[in-house]
Amino acid sequence: MKLATALALLAAGVAATGGVAAGIAMPGVEKPARAHSNWILKCQGCHRADASGTPQTTPAMAGIIGTFLKTPEGRDYLARVPGVASAALPDAELAELLNWTLLRFDPARVPKDFKPYTPNEVGQLRSRPLRTEAAQTRARILAEIASGGGTE
Amino acid sequence: MSHLDSFAERMTRKVARSTSRRSLLTLIGGAITGAATLPVLPVSRAQAQSHGGTPSGMAPQTTGNPQDPGDQTQCDYWRYCAIDGFLCSCCGGSASTCPPGTEMSPITWIGTCRNPADNRAYIISYNDCCGKSSCGNCLCNRNDGDRPMVRPQANNDINWCLGTESAIYNCSTAVILGVAVDEK
Repeated sequence: MKLATALALLAAGVAATGGVAAGIAMPGVEKPARAHSNWILKCQGCHRADASGTPQTTPAMAGIIGTFLKTPEGRDYLARVPGVASAALPDAELAELLNWTLLRFDPARVPKDFKPYTPNEVGQLRSRPLRTEAAQTRARILAEIASGGGTE
Repeated sequence: MSHLDSFAERMTRKVARSTSRRSLLTLIGGAITGAATLPVLPVSRAQAQSHGGTPSGMAPQTTGNPQDPGDQTQCDYWRYCAIDGFLCSCCGGSASTCPPGTEMSPITWIGTCRNPADNRAYIISYNDCCGKSSCGNCLCNRNDGDRPMVRPQANNDINWCLGTESAIYNCSTAVILGVAVDEK
């Protein structure tokens, strides 16, 4: 009987730890630990651990990136920007990483009806990547959103 | 005993009849020349295996931790698997800190190295130290996962002194960020 009680307690403990580790639900993120690992390997070197970026070279993402979801073009931009489109990851992991980045660094601006990026969608978008025009495109998209061009 | 004596005498006389003193000199001369030539042959030797690095001439710097084996002043230290530059361990800093008077770049080259102690891949950040001219000690150039310049975010040949006050490169560190998620 004592063994059964101990096992039950152990099971409850494992379940609780699992819940804490998973944190809040992240739609479109199958494995948050894998997404975080990919963030460190593919993004963090330039965008920094807290996604604050560096003015002039690497745009900040923390507290900003969710803004792009306000227009379809902005949503496309996030998967076509050179660092994302050329990242050495399969489509599924790239989509997961994009969703994770949005939910991790700018959850307040991610709409409630946010549809996570799918591997298929990311695969199509990255096949026509932005190149040197990325900075201009970014500035134009943000200007359009700021002037009320968004869907909200 | 006489059998042994006569056998020894027979052999000695046979050798003396069939060989000359000069042939002995030839044999010794050949051995001396051969011994002198052997080290010149192009054979890989353990002491020459420094992975494209230069010998440090420094006192060994070890952590003493069995989970972190090796000498941090040597190019073949496990964390340096994708480093390209002067080792800060030989420049007044360490494998994870900058020498005095330099500033660590927050923008870095990140890769993974396999730790021989537990055979797991660790995420390593190669933070450059910036602000003083090149250190010049312990050049080490290993390129695991290095990609060509068309992928600048994965190229370790460029100067990663970015986001610092000065873009002058001094040396490179190898900081552990975590354990890589193994997806097999």
